[in-house]
Amino acid sequence: MTDTQPTHKPTIQKSDEARTLPSGEKEFFFDVSTSDLEVNMGPQHPATHGVMRILLRTDGELVTGAQPHLGYLHRCAEKIGENVEWLQYLPYTDRYDYLSAMNNNLGYSLAVEALMPELEVPRRGTLIRTICAELNRIASALIAYGTYGLDLGAFTPFMYAFREREWIQALFEKICGARLTYSFIRIGGVFNDAPPGWLKEVEAFCDVFEQKWREYYDLLVENHIFVMRTANVGVITEAQAYDFGLTGPMLRGSGVPFDLRKDMPYMDYGEIWDAGCYEIPVGRGEKGTLGDSWDRFYVRVQEMMESIKIVRYCLGVIEDGPVLGDVPKVLKVPPGEAYVGIENPRGELGHYVHSDGGKVAVRCRVRGPSFTNLSIVEDIMPGTLLADAVAIIGSTDIVIGETDR
Amino acid sequence: MEFQAIHDRLKSIEAPGLMGFDLPRPADKETKDKGRSGNPYVEVDPQQLVHFLGACKADPELHFEMLVDITASDPSADGDDLWVLTEIISVKHKHRLSIKSILPKAAASMPSTVPAHRASQWHERECSEMYGITFEGHPDPRHILLPDDWEGFPMRKDYVFPTEYHGISCE
Repeated sequence: MTDTQPTHKPTIQKSDEARTLPSGEKEFFFDVSTSDLEVNMGPQHPATHGVMRILLRTDGELVTGAQPHLGYLHRCAEKIGENVEWLQYLPYTDRYDYLSAMNNNLGYSLAVEALMPELEVPRRGTLIRTICAELNRIASALIAYGTYGLDLGAFTPFMYAFREREWIQALFEKICGARLTYSFIRIGGVFNDAPPGWLKEVEAFCDVFEQKWREYYDLLVENHIFVMRTANVGVITEAQAYDFGLTGPMLRGSGVPFDLRKDMPYMDYGEIWDAGCYEIPVGRGEKGTLGDSWDRFYVRVQEMMESIKIVRYCLGVIEDGPVLGDVPKVLKVPPGEAYVGIENPRGELGHYVHSDGGKVAVRCRVRGPSFTNLSIVEDIMPGTLLADAVAIIGSTDIVIGETDR
Repeated sequence: MEFQAIHDRLKSIEAPGLMGFDLPRPADKETKDKGRSGNPYVEVDPQQLVHFLGACKADPELHFEMLVDITASDPSADGDDLWVLTEIISVKHKHRLSIKSILPKAAASMPSTVPAHRASQWHERECSEMYGITFEGHPDPRHILLPDDWEGFPMRKDYVFPTEYHGISCE
């Protein structure tokens, strides 16, 4: 902080000059000595969703600059990937975006499978993968829903969201034994078949969730105070979204209907899209400006219902059969390089894997969506009010485990 | 557009720095070629990469408006090269392209690609601290994941792990 001593005695006198605040109000300058104040938001701040520090420069209530400082949770995931065997790396993938571990397992498995053209994933394995990935997407969106309300002072929705999330976690516990770090989706399929009655229970969950979802929507999305806090706040235009490489709900919130599941299909998503059972929700600027925080939040909430539709489709077509392809205990991956991007709940999760034919990867790159999505904060924060800083950071829905890896 | 069509288009618009391409091929026992699996990619001169990305973005048929990822790779401890790997995507036409640029380790320096895509700002900071690549003209060349006083480039294959950091033993 570089605060200089006032050179003259402050007198409270209104000047003629006025500046316009983002809300359209006029603010008059008073004849007192002021200087920019630097505020550290974090590393231990509940609204940063983990250990991250944002250095905010403020001029009164206005934010004039924001600089995220990352790396507090850096665990060298990529370096570890070059030192452990292909199958041993799978549990590490759980830990970068710990809220959507199934999708991380899937991204890594698909990248390695891209190097093994002879490996065939059985149909039942693929469908169980899709069901798990979509259930995990709902669980992750529920956290995004609950914590965003929490950031803005609405405590109750958080409790509601965790009630249904608990059910999803119980379902995952039944199928793989773990509640957070699953390592269930393996290279070549999934670890084991669903226990008897599991698919029926997933269907029961879908039935209940469809009703509960309406509650969520009424409770927070259309809540007047919530709309006032998020509409017209942190607007990201389409051009900005492209320039900063935003993906997932951040891009769709700006009105771009781009989803890797539909536009660059992997696994059986192409087939599901062709069956016409789900849609891609996009922001429309309903409550304020196109691409504001409310739009991004709206997209996440709508996506939960689309995931339910995908799960229902898979439950309708699933048949008995094997779930894991022919994968040896010690895996040797043919030489080659592949980049595979999948639609994670937060955006494009990319894995670049490079093999020289051995038991260990030469390079195992993880492109986390949170990392890129956070980078826009530097650009959209200046000029907003300090109270909106939390609303903007919350609307990016980052997981620090992934930004830092 | 498929990869071959993208490559032909890049040739016809004379994209700056385009050097060639590589396709996956099956193993051949007679010539003892192990083959290569995975994605096809184009090779681009690292000094021209920023202009190449600009041309890809401006061309209406390619329309690569989004940069997804920039990363680097150190393929072997004895080798003399570093790879800079770029991934671009076209939201409009729904196709993607992988780009590989080969830099010598002895002179690991190339122009920053931030003028073409601001998305590369953080990715280049990460490459630079992990692999020791200098991006000339980068607007904010600080460390991003590592502490500011970290020495050496941890992702290089010949990196020696430190035994202590600020009095904390790491052995």
